[in-house]
Amino acid sequence: MQKFLLKNVDNPRSTDIREYRKSGGYKGLKKAVEMEPGKIVDEVKKSGLRGRGGAGFPTGMKWDFASRDPNFPKYLICNADEGEPGTFKDRHILERDPHLLIEGMVIAARALKVGRGYIYLRAEYPAAEVILDKAIDQAYKEGLLGENITGKGFKFDLSVHRGAGAYICGEETALIESIEGKRGQPRLKPPFPVNVGAWGKPTIVNNVETFSNLPLIIEIGPEEYSKIGNPDCPGPKLYCVSGFVEKPGVYELPMGTILRDIIYKHCGGIKGGGKLKAVIPGGISTPILPPDKIDCQMDFVNLPKAGSMLGSGAVMVFDESVCLVSVCMRAMQFFEHESCGKCTPCREGTGWLSNILERIENGMGRNGDIELLLEVASNISGKTFCPLGDGAAGMLLSFIKYFSDEFDHHIENRKCMVN
Amino acid sequence: MITEEIIKKIQQKKGDYPVFRSAIMSALHEIQNTEGWLSQESLYKVSGMLNIPPATVKGVATFYHMYRHVPMGRNIIQICTNVACMIMGAEKLVDLLKREFGIEAGGTTGDKRFSLVIMECIGACGTAPAMLVNDDFHDNLDEKRVMDILNGYK
Amino acid sequence: MITVTINDREIKFDKAVTILEAARSGGIKIPTLCFFEGLEKFGGCRLCLVEVEKLPRLQTACTVMVTDGMVVRTETDAIIRARKAMLEFLLINHPLDCPYCDKSGECELQDLVAQYGAEEGRFAEGKRRHPESFDDPIIVRNMERCVTCTRCVRMCDGVQRASAITVTGRGDHSFVEPFSGGRYDCEYCGNCLTVCPVGAIMSRLHRHSYRAWFVEDEIETLCGFCGVGCSMILQMRENTILRAIPRMGMGINKGLLCARGRFGYDIIESNRRLTTPLVRKNGELKAVSWAEALGLVAEKFSEIKEQDGGEKFAGIVSPELTNEDNYVFQRFFRETLFSNNIDSIIRMFYAPAQAYFEGIFGQGITANLISGIGKSDAVVVAGGDPTKINPVLGLQVRAASGNGAKVVSLSNAAGLKRFASSEPVARSGSENFLYSALLKALIDTRGLPGRSGSIEQEIGNIKWPNDEEITQRTGLRKSDIEKVAEDLKDPKNISVIIGPDIMINNGLMGLFLIAAIIYVLDARIYLLSERPNEQGVIDTGCMPDTLPGGRPLEISSFREKFEQEMGYGVPGQKGLTLFEMFEAIGKGDIKAAYVMGDNPVFNLPAADRIREAMSGLDFLVVQDAFLSETAKMADVVLPAALWAEKDGTYVNLERRIQRLHRAKKSVGGLEGWQIIAGISGLMGSRMEYNSARDIWEEITRASHLYGSVSYEDLATDKSLWPYKGEPLRSGKWEIKIPEEVVEKTGHGCHVYPDRLLFHSGSFSRYSPALNSIQAEPYAVMHPDTAKSIDIKDGDRIKIAAANGWSIELVSKVDNEIRDFSVRVPNVFEGVCVMSLVDYGIEPGTGAPVWKLSDIKIEKVQ
Ligand SMILES: Cc1cc2nc3c(=O)[nH]c(=O)nc-3n(C[C@H](O)[C@H](O)[C@H](O)COP(=O)(O)O)c2cc1C
Ligand code: SF4
Ligand code: FES
Repeated sequence: MQKFLLKNVDNPRSTDIREYRKSGGYKGLKKAVEMEPGKIVDEVKKSGLRGRGGAGFPTGMKWDFASRDPNFPKYLICNADEGEPGTFKDRHILERDPHLLIEGMVIAARALKVGRGYIYLRAEYPAAEVILDKAIDQAYKEGLLGENITGKGFKFDLSVHRGAGAYICGEETALIESIEGKRGQPRLKPPFPVNVGAWGKPTIVNNVETFSNLPLIIEIGPEEYSKIGNPDCPGPKLYCVSGFVEKPGVYELPMGTILRDIIYKHCGGIKGGGKLKAVIPGGISTPILPPDKIDCQMDFVNLPKAGSMLGSGAVMVFDESVCLVSVCMRAMQFFEHESCGKCTPCREGTGWLSNILERIENGMGRNGDIELLLEVASNISGKTFCPLGDGAAGMLLSFIKYFSDEFDHHIENRKCMVN
Repeated sequence: MITEEIIKKIQQKKGDYPVFRSAIMSALHEIQNTEGWLSQESLYKVSGMLNIPPATVKGVATFYHMYRHVPMGRNIIQICTNVACMIMGAEKLVDLLKREFGIEAGGTTGDKRFSLVIMECIGACGTAPAMLVNDDFHDNLDEKRVMDILNGYK
Repeated sequence: MITVTINDREIKFDKAVTILEAARSGGIKIPTLCFFEGLEKFGGCRLCLVEVEKLPRLQTACTVMVTDGMVVRTETDAIIRARKAMLEFLLINHPLDCPYCDKSGECELQDLVAQYGAEEGRFAEGKRRHPESFDDPIIVRNMERCVTCTRCVRMCDGVQRASAITVTGRGDHSFVEPFSGGRYDCEYCGNCLTVCPVGAIMSRLHRHSYRAWFVEDEIETLCGFCGVGCSMILQMRENTILRAIPRMGMGINKGLLCARGRFGYDIIESNRRLTTPLVRKNGELKAVSWAEALGLVAEKFSEIKEQDGGEKFAGIVSPELTNEDNYVFQRFFRETLFSNNIDSIIRMFYAPAQAYFEGIFGQGITANLISGIGKSDAVVVAGGDPTKINPVLGLQVRAASGNGAKVVSLSNAAGLKRFASSEPVARSGSENFLYSALLKALIDTRGLPGRSGSIEQEIGNIKWPNDEEITQRTGLRKSDIEKVAEDLKDPKNISVIIGPDIMINNGLMGLFLIAAIIYVLDARIYLLSERPNEQGVIDTGCMPDTLPGGRPLEISSFREKFEQEMGYGVPGQKGLTLFEMFEAIGKGDIKAAYVMGDNPVFNLPAADRIREAMSGLDFLVVQDAFLSETAKMADVVLPAALWAEKDGTYVNLERRIQRLHRAKKSVGGLEGWQIIAGISGLMGSRMEYNSARDIWEEITRASHLYGSVSYEDLATDKSLWPYKGEPLRSGKWEIKIPEEVVEKTGHGCHVYPDRLLFHSGSFSRYSPALNSIQAEPYAVMHPDTAKSIDIKDGDRIKIAAANGWSIELVSKVDNEIRDFSVRVPNVFEGVCVMSLVDYGIEPGTGAPVWKLSDIKIEKVQ
């Protein structure tokens, strides 16, 4: 397939604006500045683009809400927190094609009449900060950011806001709290950020990859764009594949590519010719799938039908050598570590689940532990303040649903099935 | 010591936000970059510079795990042990580091050369296991590679 | 109209409310933990989960707003399971040390678990540990018990706005901590104690001394520490106060208290209270019976009255006593002794300031609701720090700032540091230059309103200082003043808060300039009030020149009508004001004094002169709860009951009449009116009172002001100015601008009394709790001042005044003091800063104005 999002990443000088321009960069923007802001919003709506940050919310609809809000100033935020374990697609763009993101953001700013934007960048990507700062500098120098963009008299300032190690700040309201300089805990919704966001003003938060789709949409038009991938949620998609495949990495494929194809066709199959045991298709907040469920399309519509979610499109592949109890335990430790502490079930429940899983993993499991895990997880599920707790519970429930024998084995034999 | 230069940088960062206090995370980063960690005095200074109550500064500084509240070694090994790295052998590397440098997670070697920090996912899952040493990324690690890399940090 | 169905019951609302409010209004209970009325919405504990039809997930009742047609269920099996699950989660890290925990019996977690269960412990791992902290004098915190509801933090941040505590850490390592991690070092308002649902933050005062169910009685009464008049509940057992607590929403304080109100109640139980009358025999005070003591007073007073007449008496009342006490005192002085020499410490500021503003703008001009401050779009503060003098009022200033109001602080107000949009502080003594420059700037930006010719004429006569002069005198730049004028350019709804320093620093000229500013801003006036019943002293006629109700006694028609109605006589000539009395005492023109509930030889300026004068009296009676500096000089000391031991009324600074309710019987003291009525009876004028109510009824006969307020009205809005009547605010525009009374000569350092948040008057020194926060006096000064005299923070220093007096204490170097002054609290025994200051008298008002004289400061080895 033709590459749109990753077409520059293999060019070693791709971060330079001249190189970016050479490959057609900033054409989308050039077109966008000739368009009425409302028209851009319409085009994005028509394109059917859905947010790539995890929730898959229709971007055009979000923009529509934001542009209807009469309050100004408005803020535009790029969510570059990419904290979902297994995910490294945004890093690809941030470090290798920063101008793609900047162009996308300027188009969005134009469409939404925003004067100030931030890239909320996770602190785990120090190299990206340097690259982004330089790219932003260049964009300012070339009149693509600042007071009078492309000479068309609109203004947009952009800077990087660096996170400091908190997964929850990927959640957009927590991210906004963090940009405001507070503890990154999610806010009550409603009001939604599109109406009351950063500093109480309408705020549009989109993912790096989402913004990166915009130049393409504007350039080729929504009709052409929606022909890519699944018509229900079209466009190119970055899948990041890790674990036991021959060729892990970031793949740009049409939205809705079959999971099996991703693993076997694009990534060269299971590493060392091993046997597939399980796949997490969208980052560890999404339910795990056994090998017989991998013939589904990887998109926001079809994965839920198969019992999981697209999430960030982070495919984690486990072969028979992997102990899923230890994976589950480590994932739960992650959730415990990253729980913001605001709501009871997530704060206390993830810790408790980790405790039980650690005990099982260490050969100290007890009869009834599986039932207890299930019960604690369902006591979390659906009762937390934000989706983090749900993700933790859903992940665990899916592990037990498909792999309870492995847990049983651990408890009964006080040791692992695989090693 | 919070130098004039840091103060200048922080003052500059204030301009990025409609409300000064929002520069707090940058301020903490700036100080940590030079001092290596955030002392109680530093937090107090930030409180004064941005007119934020000291306790609030502390609340923010302790929420984010990459702010450090004890002095660190000259080089910080931040090794990822999240699922993708774990299944690719990160635990073994951690054990190696602990053994080799005689430190626990969060600890610092006696000669202050290294501090060891266990990280959640650092976005290198495709090339796991991986670590950050200070601001440098290193991936596709194995025991030998780790030691070779670390030899380059004094 | 919104119709909601909750548990099959339809409830209707005109406006959107939360499901929780809707349910509560329909009498349906939904359990909550993190929710707390008045705090910012949170939705974290997840106990209030309910089912809403058509929504897939359970919803938090405390945050979700009802919509028309919504159908809610609050007690389904799924919900009950969820609640039980949340409680189980909360218990996994909870120490379950209920048998040992003081909160037991009134713990919300305990109650909820009792109701919903989580009876078996399925958590088998180690609990999170966190050491209990005793770093604070009056607060103990046990974070193992914390349920992370953040009510305390939301209280401290969002209401008290002290932001002293925060949640530190994250996830299941979240703890509520102050900045230091140890001591709170905060305002110790204790409002976090009110909101903590479990035993995580508790008072140390009654640690392990009682259980919730020991409380036999709860008495709602008032705090006796300042003129805000906060309501609180005293929890009693066997005539002892177990603790003072507020109830959220209660009283004008809406359940908030300051450190004094919440912790200072232990004064009442102090073992230094006087329990028997004392009479001086052979130079020493000896315990005697009430009969003997009162007999002696009656005998001596009768003798002096007969020989010399009423002018030979001085009567000092107290704004700490009730209306009833003070009314009876003035009746005793006027009727029995035939003397109008009645005055009190409110002569220092509250009385003259109020009289002055009423003279200009009309009666009742200072009677404004405290809650109005928070709703203002600008607040100007001059002459004191409201967050220290009247802490709960101070919160309103912070709230206004939080709502976006411009707050302009023209005085050293450390408590407004993070809240003021501009804080030009003039060198002490030079404030009038600041005020006039500001007035000028405001006239330039806002113009003269043209409502009153006379005040505009006076404004026209002002000799405006030039820029250079202003900078030279005040130390402020022109731009500082322009900034204030800019802040105050547009606001419409402005509050001006005026503290005591204006009067004593700047005299009537200061008041006039502030009045002119108020006129230009068309602002509401608030007078800070250091003691609980300053207004009541005026209202009950405890002034040398006015009768109860404020009518001038020298107008014979008023006086005669009063005499006729009340059946007792009043001398026709006004009496001496407070400072005139001391002058007269000094000259030997007064022979006997009765001091009821004050400590003039410590509390008044030039305290040493006052002491010297007092020692020349033939006969001194002091009625007090403690053996104060003044009581030690007395011939007869009469033990008094304190506010918690009394019925009666106080009038707060809004001019709201509020009732005190007796919580306990005083161990040895009597109420002021009982003592006075006793003496009076022995002297032949019988006063037949059985209760405070009897006196209240007499006061309403004596005073046209309170005339319409019955005893039953006292807890209602009818006890709020103008007491059922029309406000009488037609200004008389009576403007006096006298010359400066004293010449401001000193150029070096000046010493002033500092007003503390943790103390009040000179008697809070008897509170072990307040002393545990601050037991030592200090001299606080700006770092530059300290540097110029080579003093470091914590040095022991000696401050000597020109009059030869000196005090020794520790220095505190802090830039909260913005000018070249040194401030010392006038609270602690042995350190009477009032002996270092001298004053001149404003002839019009009788109020003292500081004379500035240089002090000498040196280090003591
Ligand atoms: C716990 C949690 C973590 C999240 N982390 C990220 C993240 O790292 N990056 C991201 O883009 N979106 C993340 N999201 C999704 C954001 O809340 C939000 O939906 C997204 O930024 C919207 O952008 P989009 O519409 O372009 O996807 C997270 C959501 C949750 C609940
Ligand atoms: S503000 Fe005044 S009345 Fe209220 S508690 Fe404090 S001292 Fe008492
Ligand atoms: S009371 Fe509603 S979530 Fe706590």
